[in-house]
Amino acid sequence: MAKENVQMDDGAAGKRVFFRRRRGCPLEGTPDTEINYKNLKLIARFISEGGRILPSRITSVSAKRQRQVKKQIKIARNLALLPFVAK
Amino acid sequence: MPLYESTFIARQDISTQEVENLTKQFSQIVEDNGGKVLKKEYWGLRNLAYPIRKNRKGHYVMLALDTPPAVLKEMERNLKIHDDILRNVSIRVEEIQDGPSFMMNNRGDYQESRYSAANSNDEE
Repeated sequence: MAKENVQMDDGAAGKRVFFRRRRGCPLEGTPDTEINYKNLKLIARFISEGGRILPSRITSVSAKRQRQVKKQIKIARNLALLPFVAK
Repeated sequence: MPLYESTFIARQDISTQEVENLTKQFSQIVEDNGGKVLKKEYWGLRNLAYPIRKNRKGHYVMLALDTPPAVLKEMERNLKIHDDILRNVSIRVEEIQDGPSFMMNNRGDYQESRYSAANSNDEE
């Protein structure tokens, strides 16, 4: 499948922030308490330049962690700690 | 009793002293009705990632609570009515972390200059 080669041409500016890692989940081993809406340093790694949540096929996050991160990003957005849309 | 973290944002125009009073007021509601306030944190006057009701900054206060849900609901109701409170979010947590939360150390800052409403007019 051409999936891996075409991966980076996804169009919208800002989706290319991170290289696609071939290795495992970057959040492997972080305790659940660290995936927290308050922990902006960690959470902000998973949003794009435009403020959009990055898909796990780009960040290689495991599915479970992706769900946790997604939830915390959404909470942080509501608290104006992260933007919904950024220029 | 379930554990909650409730965070609210107060308008930028009010003074820190008034924020303190607000915090006390809402803690009082919880304690009077049988709940406990485990932690009170003031994150300071932070830039908001987007303007809320024309405010670009806000006072953030976080409370960690151990209360019955009905009391939480009552507190939220009061938060909603109050004019000085812009937003509040309460979530249920499994456990409350000891010590200061991420916001009090550096973890809570990342690229503030990029994502703050107060700076957005300077770009382009």
